[in-house]
Amino acid sequence: MTLSEKYKELVDIAINNKLSVNDTGKVLRIEGEVDTADIKDKMWEIYKNLDPHFKSNDVVLNVKSKVSAGDKVKVVTRESRLNIRQGPGTDQPIVGKAEKGDIITLINKTNDQWWLVRDNDGEEGYCYSQYLEPVN
Amino acid sequence: MYRINNYNDTINLKLENMKLLRSLSILIMILTIGLGAVSCKNVSDADIQNEAQVALNANPDLSGVMVTVLNKVATITGTVEDEATKSYAESTVAGVENVVSVVNEIVVVPPPPDYSALDNAINAGLADALKDHPKVTATVQDGVITINGEIRERDLQTLMEKLNALNPVQIVNNATVK
Repeated sequence: MTLSEKYKELVDIAINNKLSVNDTGKVLRIEGEVDTADIKDKMWEIYKNLDPHFKSNDVVLNVKSKVSAGDKVKVVTRESRLNIRQGPGTDQPIVGKAEKGDIITLINKTNDQWWLVRDNDGEEGYCYSQYLEPVN
Repeated sequence: MYRINNYNDTINLKLENMKLLRSLSILIMILTIGLGAVSCKNVSDADIQNEAQVALNANPDLSGVMVTVLNKVATITGTVEDEATKSYAESTVAGVENVVSVVNEIVVVPPPPDYSALDNAINAGLADALKDHPKVTATVQDGVITINGEIRERDLQTLMEKLNALNPVQIVNNATVK
């Protein structure tokens, strides 16, 4: 069974959303941008169902949901509050915290990992992008 | 008498023939030596081979190519990085004077991909990605992230999303899932 067959459900949703799909035989790569965070979450759910502990080492799922400066983003930490830092890096001082579930404003995407945000108190700083998802 | 005369005539005839043959063979010898000298000077395989190798060596992309010449047929061997260079080596040798044909036995071996830039980018993002997962360690080589240590099952997907977002070639998960 090829990887495209093994992960058919994932490949189908990827193709429907015009993502790049590349089956090298060793690794199935799915990359690109989807319209909503829901699609991204759905894809991770499918992936997790097919490989519950991510131990097959045969998928790279690099999917981002579309978001632009000025959009609202939701804090999606698992349980803790999200650090807002002075600069883009975990070595930077913490200048504030956002609660899980808070909806804050994206000022700009500094890089793939760090986004500059403004919280509801008007405080600005950098958050780790994996804990933020666009509100559609 | 007749028989004797006839006999002498026969001997004379043979002598004449021998003289003619000797002259002819001398002529042939001169011609042969002459032609041989000309061919040795201009078109020996060794000379063609030297000239062809010099032509190849002039191009650093063809440094892995060797040429041998036999009966003016050049055979090129060795390795190059792509098909275009293989063809270029052939036309280079075909362009050498007195080469009548080229047998191209060059093998194309593409250079291994250079992952150093990707590895640097992944390493730059790895510390932040692992910050909330202190029991996980990771190494990066040739674009492949290998994780070890241990992680709680409920944190695993979060970690995997972070690692996948670093756009690696592959993620090898050797971590113990608790």
